[in-house]
Amino acid sequence: MMNKDKIKLEPVVNDNDKEILVEIKDVSKHFKVAGGVLKAVNNINLNIKKGETLGLVGESGCGKSTLSKVIMGIYPPTSGKIIYHGKKEMVVSKNNLFEYAKMAQIIFQDPYSSLDPRMTVGSIIEEGMIIHKMYDKKKRKERVFELLELVGLNAEHANRYPHEFSGGQRQRIGIARALAIEPEFIICDEPISALDVSIQAQIINLLYDLQKKLNLTYLFIAHDLNIVKYISDRIAVMYLGHIVELSTSDELYKNPLHPYTKALLSAVPVPDPKREAQKKRQMLEGDVTSPIDPKPGCPFAARCPYATDICTKDFPKPEIKAGHMVSCHHVEKINNLN
Amino acid sequence: MNKILEVRDLHVTFHTYAGQVKAVRGVSFDLYEGEILAIVGESGSGKSVTAQTIMKLNPMPPTQIERGKILLGDKDIVKASEKEMMAIRGKDISMIFQDPMTSLNPTMTIGRQLTEAIKHHKKLSKDEAQKEAIRLLKLVRIPNPESRIFQYPHEFSGGMRQRVMIAMALSCQPKLLIADEPTTALDVTIQAQIIDILKEIREKTGTSIIIITHDLGVVANMADRVAVMYGGKIVETGSVDDIFYRPAHPYTKALLESLPKTDTDKNTRLVSIEGTPPDLLNPPVGCPFAGRCKYTMKICKTQMPPHFEPSKDHKSACWLLHEDCPYSDFKNPDGGGENDE
Repeated sequence: MMNKDKIKLEPVVNDNDKEILVEIKDVSKHFKVAGGVLKAVNNINLNIKKGETLGLVGESGCGKSTLSKVIMGIYPPTSGKIIYHGKKEMVVSKNNLFEYAKMAQIIFQDPYSSLDPRMTVGSIIEEGMIIHKMYDKKKRKERVFELLELVGLNAEHANRYPHEFSGGQRQRIGIARALAIEPEFIICDEPISALDVSIQAQIINLLYDLQKKLNLTYLFIAHDLNIVKYISDRIAVMYLGHIVELSTSDELYKNPLHPYTKALLSAVPVPDPKREAQKKRQMLEGDVTSPIDPKPGCPFAARCPYATDICTKDFPKPEIKAGHMVSCHHVEKINNLN
Repeated sequence: MNKILEVRDLHVTFHTYAGQVKAVRGVSFDLYEGEILAIVGESGSGKSVTAQTIMKLNPMPPTQIERGKILLGDKDIVKASEKEMMAIRGKDISMIFQDPMTSLNPTMTIGRQLTEAIKHHKKLSKDEAQKEAIRLLKLVRIPNPESRIFQYPHEFSGGMRQRVMIAMALSCQPKLLIADEPTTALDVTIQAQIIDILKEIREKTGTSIIIITHDLGVVANMADRVAVMYGGKIVETGSVDDIFYRPAHPYTKALLESLPKTDTDKNTRLVSIEGTPPDLLNPPVGCPFAGRCKYTMKICKTQMPPHFEPSKDHKSACWLLHEDCPYSDFKNPDGGGENDE
């Protein structure tokens, strides 16, 4: 099933024995835009394992949402393929999207625009089951009530409309809708960034409980790095369409190897004034360069304090270093590794 | 230290079809020279309305300042006419907004926008204005300011536009800069740059800053003092250390506990605050947090607690701090339940 030379792209971590659920093989997604080709996602290799939460972080425009849409089958990849090893084995394509959607679902960022305002909550949740011809009418109604209770709402909420709910409650409805067709794999695309701080913890706890109860696999996309670290088993860091570093979440936070990961982590303000006062910030100059017709070489070279000639010429191959997959020409030098 | 701004018992309401929304319900605070005050709270807590009222930016009607005072020096902004406000805005108080993409005029060059305020408040020749624009862009660390002043906003990235906004706000050396969620729309690495610039400006010019945010990380990084808002009221104020290490209001405490720390284990559950914030169309009579608080007592639902002072310059509006209250978690052994009102 797996190509041998691709295996080495996975980090050496102790949960290697876990089965792979989604295999992302050399996936690229390019868009033709006025002025050139926008290379949103470039040659991504990533395996998502059964039962894990894989965090995907990066700044706006780094391609994380495009990648999630490619994985969902919403965008066909320009090259490469997505192989799914769930209840059914399949290479995701236009022809089997319907079947695939029954196993992989997505939760969106904005709980206000992702629910149809003219449908009752019950029919929003039921719709997927009707489309996939699951159960009879009576059983479906029961399932709607079960699901509402599962996500912490009441059965009586089924007859209400989305506008009657708060942001956190709407996000719960979005989660119930995703769970209705009993998927194995859920992409959470910034599920909490539109919510207030006091509500975020409620949703994170809910997602965590559901994972334990239903044995779900999550791809968790977010830009709040404290939350991502808390919920993820492994984290992939994206920059300008490339994955620059991948490791277990503890390891990545303790010993970031890639200069971009280092800068990103040092930029996150932590809610602790003393730690903030002591922290040495590694300031990044400038902004992310344009993904339209990007220059060859390392995507981070223009902002990297360690960049040399080779960085602007060759793309650094991903290598395994100290339990991380990292792509940087100078990773040994920067981190004093041998 | 000199007091720059004094807000006393401010009440602001909005008239809507559904009724009168009581957005700000009796807010009082002081701001001193060279100080960074953070106002934190969730959406709908009244933090932005408070800030906008200081500059009188909300259209009246439907907004109405029911009562209260906003004293800038000896001038009461609540009573100031629109003409007087024109002289204050940009000169004494200026403001930067959340969205740098929409708050610049797309049809004007950066240089012209930058100097619009100075031209309004002082008489400057074209040459002088241009020099001033370059100086301001240098202040916020924009490279090549000499050519940048002739460019338009669409040629600037999000972080750069926010820096232009800051430069513009500083053009008349205001005494007070209000930053309403200045980094919320920006990425973390850019956010770090903006925070750095704001702190540097305070050092260099001594401008006082009010920063409005919901990000407690940003607060921990830059604030000297913090005011926590909930349901249209300030529930706690104190130094940044008081708020983060000795929170004396259950809401502040719960908010801090609900955030995962960098060392929080995956197996520790996050502490969540159940329920949702109060509806300000019909605000609760008592403490706004009573419906979600785990310590709620009978009195919390019927009477708004006064501000108790658990330690010097640290105030919290919570009945738990009353001397007759049986719980003692929140009482500071040194300060202990003084009533300051």
